[in-house]
Amino acid sequence: MPAETTYLAHHFASLEKQTYAARLGMWLFLATEVLLFTALFAGYGVYRFLFREAFAESSRHLQTWIGLVNTLILVTSSFTVAMGVDRAGKGDGKGAWRFFLVSFLFGAAFMVFKAIEYTHHFHVGELPGRFYTNEEVQLVGAPIFMALYFLITGLHGIHVLVGMTVLLVIGLRARAGAYAAEYSVPVELAGLYWHLVDLIWIFVFPLIYLV
Amino acid sequence: MAEPLSHRPEHGAHASHVPRYLAVWIALLVFTFGTWGISRFHLPGVAGVAVALAIAIAKGALVALFFMHLYDQPGPNRLVFATSLVFVALLISLTLLDYATRFPLTNPPGSQGAIPASDYAPAPNDTTR
Repeated sequence: MPAETTYLAHHFASLEKQTYAARLGMWLFLATEVLLFTALFAGYGVYRFLFREAFAESSRHLQTWIGLVNTLILVTSSFTVAMGVDRAGKGDGKGAWRFFLVSFLFGAAFMVFKAIEYTHHFHVGELPGRFYTNEEVQLVGAPIFMALYFLITGLHGIHVLVGMTVLLVIGLRARAGAYAAEYSVPVELAGLYWHLVDLIWIFVFPLIYLV
Repeated sequence: MAEPLSHRPEHGAHASHVPRYLAVWIALLVFTFGTWGISRFHLPGVAGVAVALAIAIAKGALVALFFMHLYDQPGPNRLVFATSLVFVALLISLTLLDYATRFPLTNPPGSQGAIPASDYAPAPNDTTR
């Protein structure tokens, strides 16, 4: 069946225009996502400037290896998503599904490490505000660091969960043959979302864990 | 009718992105280990932050340009993303400049240059917090 009759919505003149509009819409959405996280990063910047010692000390008490492993996991998952989108662009829905499933599992591994990390924070009392009971770091500003830590990594974690869902749903649709070489833009946009989640973590890792 | 799509560079049958994706992935892994390794030296002052951010920007650029295909996107898509980055720079730099140029005593107690916090921890019987 020609791609035009299968995939083209009636309010678009051609499939090419539809694809163009879909991509532009996704990029607009991604821009708002970037700004959402920027607000948190700006807050981080301000309090890091005000409480330099507390932020450095609190950061040193995080488990850097978990941050490192999670960065490697996300970067690799981004690669497998790119490969999946590439397969879908060639009309190989099953290949796209396999790559998206691997990426989904990487996302799950990321969340498992996140859970280990959060459990540790709860046990040693590295919590925001008045719930902060950690004896090792008793500096003004340490509870603020933990508040920003949970806001930034928590919001990012929610994005990972959403991204995993998107990968799973679109991957299953691709496996069922819903897309073709002429039209794989949903797979592409799902990939874009996952890359953005990776992109944000690329900045979270050095800012929260390293410096 | 699907003819115009086949002319698009990102849909060219002969153009395989796989080697490029592999190269980007390996570069991202190297950068990740690199930024982690450098952080263990605890560079003095702002140098540590500068190096870490420079590496993060390099990694981000690789992801945005090649995994997200921004390098072969039409102008409007690039413009949208570039605009968001301009506002990232504005929001962070102006906010930080505000705090950096304030009279220190207007900053919260216990912060850099401000009055020390005498007793930050709430008293055991303080129920107002």
